[in-house]
Amino acid sequence: MEQVIANGFYLGAQYALIALGLTLIFALMNVLNFAHGQMYVLGGFISYTVYGQLGLPFVVALLASGVTLAVIGALMEKFLFRTVIKRSLREESTMLLAAATAFFFDAVILLIFGEKQRGVPKIVKGVFNEGGIIMPYDRMVVGVLALVFIAAFVLYMQYSRVGRAMRALAQDRVAAQLMGVQVDRYSMIGFAMGAMLAGIVGGLLVTITGVNSGIGGPISIKAFMMVMIGGAGVVGGAIAGGFILGMMESVGLTVLREYGDVTYLVIFAALMVFLSIRPNGLMGKPWG
Amino acid sequence: MINRRSTLKSMVLGAVSALAMTAAGMPPAQAQNKELKIGFVGVTSGPAAAWGTSNVRSMQTRAAWINETGGVKIGDATYNVNIVTFDDQKDPKRAIAGMEKMAQEGIHYVVGPNVDDGAAAVRPVAEANGIIYFPYAFPKALYQKPASNAVLGMIANYQSGPAIYKYLKENKGVKTIAFVAANESDPLSQRDSGVEAAKALGLKIVAQNDTYQNDTRDFTPVLTPIVSLKPDLLVLSGVAPANAPLLIRAARELGFEGLISTETAQDAKVLEEGAGEYANGFISVGGASTPEIASDMMKEFVSRYTKMFGEYNDESNTKVYALEYILETLKANPAAINDVGEFKKTMDSFSAPNPYLKGDAKLSYVGTTSFGQKRQLAVPMVVNEYKDGAFHTLFVGTVD
Amino acid sequence: MTRSVKIASVAAFLAIVFIAVPVLISVSGRFDLYYTLTSVALLSIASAGVWLTFYIGRINIGQGAYALMGGYVSAILVVTHGWSFWPTLPAAGLSCAAASVLIGLPILRLRGVYFAMVTLVLTEVARLLALALPITNGAKGMVSIPLPGALSIFGLTIIPDFATLHNARLAFYLLAVALMVVCFAVVYRLVHSRVGKLCQSLQQNEELASSIGVNIAYLRVIAYAVSSFFGGVAGAIFAAISQSIYPSSFTVIDSVNFMLNCFLGGLGYVFGPMLGTLVLYFGWDLLFQTGRFQLLIYSTLMIVLMLFLPNGLLSLAATTRKKG
Repeated sequence: MEQVIANGFYLGAQYALIALGLTLIFALMNVLNFAHGQMYVLGGFISYTVYGQLGLPFVVALLASGVTLAVIGALMEKFLFRTVIKRSLREESTMLLAAATAFFFDAVILLIFGEKQRGVPKIVKGVFNEGGIIMPYDRMVVGVLALVFIAAFVLYMQYSRVGRAMRALAQDRVAAQLMGVQVDRYSMIGFAMGAMLAGIVGGLLVTITGVNSGIGGPISIKAFMMVMIGGAGVVGGAIAGGFILGMMESVGLTVLREYGDVTYLVIFAALMVFLSIRPNGLMGKPWG
Repeated sequence: MINRRSTLKSMVLGAVSALAMTAAGMPPAQAQNKELKIGFVGVTSGPAAAWGTSNVRSMQTRAAWINETGGVKIGDATYNVNIVTFDDQKDPKRAIAGMEKMAQEGIHYVVGPNVDDGAAAVRPVAEANGIIYFPYAFPKALYQKPASNAVLGMIANYQSGPAIYKYLKENKGVKTIAFVAANESDPLSQRDSGVEAAKALGLKIVAQNDTYQNDTRDFTPVLTPIVSLKPDLLVLSGVAPANAPLLIRAARELGFEGLISTETAQDAKVLEEGAGEYANGFISVGGASTPEIASDMMKEFVSRYTKMFGEYNDESNTKVYALEYILETLKANPAAINDVGEFKKTMDSFSAPNPYLKGDAKLSYVGTTSFGQKRQLAVPMVVNEYKDGAFHTLFVGTVD
Repeated sequence: MTRSVKIASVAAFLAIVFIAVPVLISVSGRFDLYYTLTSVALLSIASAGVWLTFYIGRINIGQGAYALMGGYVSAILVVTHGWSFWPTLPAAGLSCAAASVLIGLPILRLRGVYFAMVTLVLTEVARLLALALPITNGAKGMVSIPLPGALSIFGLTIIPDFATLHNARLAFYLLAVALMVVCFAVVYRLVHSRVGKLCQSLQQNEELASSIGVNIAYLRVIAYAVSSFFGGVAGAIFAAISQSIYPSSFTVIDSVNFMLNCFLGGLGYVFGPMLGTLVLYFGWDLLFQTGRFQLLIYSTLMIVLMLFLPNGLLSLAATTRKKG
């Protein structure tokens, strides 16, 4: 059972980091970014190229993933989402744009990096095995790094000038604008940061699970679920959602394994029941 | 404002006409040789892209090779082979559309689809339009009477599974066995027939209900309870090439010491990158590219493939055969080129040398034992073991 | 638009789909288009359902669940219980509607992305149920479903047995298009009725609507039930065409596509989902010759369309009219 908890905790850390970027973009612009998973995949492939193929240090690879995705995110906001949000009558219309960009990334990634699953050499070798818990060292490193990134992000949002502006924007767009927050600029920064987070987590996890061009869509959907559990548009919610989903998967797969395919059925059904009781997740804003 | 609107309108018009132009812009026809179109309907995008891509690329490689060396002579005419491809996105509804397209193009021989649901869905269209198709899907109903237009393109897991388990039982002392599969149609069906085969051999099954979502990236939670049962053999039923290294790595890191095997084809490079030395000893089914059995023609195929697409995919070994069979059967009976009835007649007696395998192996149609009629390609059942970045052949079996 | 213009355009539309299209297809010999257009018609029926839930202010990414359920209901009734195909069509729709009432009562209270995501999960739940329930034959799916038989009332054959037809594709096309016409007529009627006006008020402000005495819970469930009915019917016909159904016959991707069809056509227009489906589905089909660049071109065109027509394709017609 210790092992199951440890698995769940590790899974939760990586899930939470995946969900953060998605929830940030949602909080700022009410955009449900279908391309989040594809950004993750792109980050993974950049890391794969820099660290796995070119043989540069892993930190450089991680940096490259983050920076590239931040630039892509900023461009997407400036040239695509901003335009569409201004012109459309219903803001849900951005969903089609988000889905189209997701397809676009899928196509580009498939053309450039091919259809195969890719992996990189381990960053740390060896396996920790004591007290009934088995955990490879590289997983522990990645888990800790994920926690560090999460903490850094939370602190940045809490105490920096940019962070404060973005939180104001998320709370009330109009009021923030009236108080002198440059909405366009901070939307762009926020989108870039969300994309950067996706890139970093992709780059980080390529060392454990590798990456392949087709997993973007499923990753997005998983991230949606975490965000939904915790409450959309709330940083704390995304973190909680990630850990809850991670733990549910780990425990469920062990406890329910005798009954065949029902683990995910139970998780999903529980999710639906939970949301019918708490329509805004654990701590989300009403209206999402 | 009016200006802006009209620019906008002309851009939309432009987009639409671009669409129309791509639809009209067919590839130019070859000059002197006649053209023989062979279809492909399968998945070349999305999470399962690896299956169809290795498939279609092996066809394209072979076709380019044939055309470069003057085409293929069938009866009195010489043909250039043109592969017409359709990406069904692993959606059975799209697969039907793909098969309709093939019928429209006047194609009678189609390779694919890659999965169970697609193969079942295209059956009405194929039968109505006189198309013989070569799915990489295992449901027996596709190949048993009254169905007659589908030909299984590879070894089914209910054929290779028993052989592998038997070999491991006799040579490696395997007594207990555990199964894990993705919760989708193909892997689950393959698991069920694997369980049956293991039971028939008297192996003790310690786990058979464990499943995972196909998009799982971290398999530790799935494997933790199974590894604690310490089976001698862990079977990854119908595992996707992308998931195999992740499963192997997770199992080994959790301290699993038994054997791991699967009945699907895998890629050595993917295993090497994803699991490294953890993958050593992993047993899978392959084609004929291992040095022990590959003929010179196979070696040339691999090098041409690598040149054309930058990197070889070991899964393609198992998929090189369908096109070869189609062409060789047409050579044996030129009347079949527009008449699948003739093709079916030829299938019963057809035999030709297998160019990809060393020795005197034959190409012929089999499947009588499994399906009651000859609706399967006799591809060699090559069981490989992975070691340090390459496959080595454990044994080669046959199917009747 | 005056009444006579409306009647004329409906008549023109009917003439096109029932007469012009079959004639053009047989003249040009492009028989593969029957299936493509049948798919468009069926998918647009399901999309029309999604559009209806948009109309009450809900983003529905769960239509795939009902399409799958409809397909299974029809397949099980035909194969296991020996029903004729025709009564299974309304049976599929009605069971989906009934299920959607049960599911809808709790989840329709959700809004915005929460409703969207719950419905997304619903599609996956449907797939997993199809795998797990004993009645669906699990992973092996249901295959060799017979083609629709003859339908006769009082000894008079209205619809011949599809298996005896020379061109079953045409028969399926006519069936699908006829159903599409009926479904869109229903939606149009609904939207332009008193109930429709009330639904529109839900879209704008539920609290306000509720405070002036509109029974919003009731309205929402009705709209959702009609929506699911459409999904079930479309799924049932797809099962009949492919003569098979698998848990993966309708997936999350289908659910997302149904939603995208609505967006592309335009959320403000009843016929938006029809046009959206036509463009998205046909667009993919037309691009099939571009091979490996298909997805790239397809997605680029989608982005461009969205950039210039964020309110849907039909907004182009609307602005032109305003201008002229």
